[in-house]
Amino acid sequence: MKVLIVGCGRVGARLARDLSEDGHEVTVVDMARSAFERLGQHFPGRMVLGNGTDQHVLEEAGAAEMDWFISVTNGDNRNIMSAQVAQRIFQIPKVMTRIYDPIREQVYREMGLYTYCPTVVGAAIARTYFEQGAEAADGARARVTGAAGTHA
Amino acid sequence: MPAPASPGRLGPMPERPAYVLVVGGGKVGFYLTHRLLKAGYEVALIEKDRTRAASISAQLGSCSCLVGDGDEMAFLATSGIERADVLAAVTGDDEDNLVACQLAKWNFKVPHTIARVNNPSNVQLFQRLGVDIAVSATELILNEIDTALANNSDAQRLPLEGTDKGVIRLTVPAGPAVGHRFSELAELASEQLLLLLRDGEPVGADTELALGDQLVILTERPTADFQLESAAVLHPVSG
Repeated sequence: MKVLIVGCGRVGARLARDLSEDGHEVTVVDMARSAFERLGQHFPGRMVLGNGTDQHVLEEAGAAEMDWFISVTNGDNRNIMSAQVAQRIFQIPKVMTRIYDPIREQVYREMGLYTYCPTVVGAAIARTYFEQGAEAADGARARVTGAAGTHA
Repeated sequence: MPAPASPGRLGPMPERPAYVLVVGGGKVGFYLTHRLLKAGYEVALIEKDRTRAASISAQLGSCSCLVGDGDEMAFLATSGIERADVLAAVTGDDEDNLVACQLAKWNFKVPHTIARVNNPSNVQLFQRLGVDIAVSATELILNEIDTALANNSDAQRLPLEGTDKGVIRLTVPAGPAVGHRFSELAELASEQLLLLLRDGEPVGADTELALGDQLVILTERPTADFQLESAAVLHPVSG
């Protein structure tokens, strides 16, 4: 699959490395050149320097031919805008975005973006640990991470 | 959403001024709020920086400057947004303006949403994404420059007595003529190009046209016509 990742922070870089190792064709966009260092020296994918909310930058990154898109910059609104451009302008079939604010996450989910909220997920795992112990919390984590390969 | 029972909302109440929410207390937001207040609107300005908000409150007095995020729903709900007639998001970040307008429109049914757009290529995008009006200062200024150059307000026709011709001086507008050699253009143009002036002085035929140069042209056409046609004269057919 051709994958476009906007935001090369911890999550973006890790996902980029995992997906490339699985044989996907990955392009990563970030505004800071130094962010690409997180990808390591042997990253086989493409790196595009620029603002991921800018249509021209996404076009240059090949957005029109992508199968999957995810925006994981550190700004909710930047992720939201970038994902809407991917979905509405470039019509990428699978678009996902990260939104920290649970309320905004719910709004955009209802408006047709596929979203995930680390705040909700994190709080739920913590609560599981407090109320049901480590085993239950590990189980909750494994249900998510187990499905996503075993790259450490 | 059921209509509120208050007769003030439903019945004719012309004295109720429109309620405008301004998101972003930078220069644009500040002056916008200032003018809206002067015009008699009810205005609330939303600014997330506490110090900046205090300074605005001190300067604008009667304005209620709220400290908070224009994209935090819980905060927006306390701003009276559900009765706002207009929300204008004018921060320096396009993504924040977009989200503020979308939340206002979708969740609080604000009838008119206006976004300031910093990157001019976002104007159409914002409208596709549900913002009612997207305004780009860059685009407005670009249009003004185009208009100013296209009008060539300094084009003057000096009639040559005893003939039906006249001489026109025309400032080179932005367009394909820029970068062509004067001699090249003279061959292609439908009018007789006499001189190329740079900083008021004639320059050689090999000179490439630059924005702001002036052309002296011999033509039969009156000035008004010529202005309309000037684009054709200065857009040589390439190849």
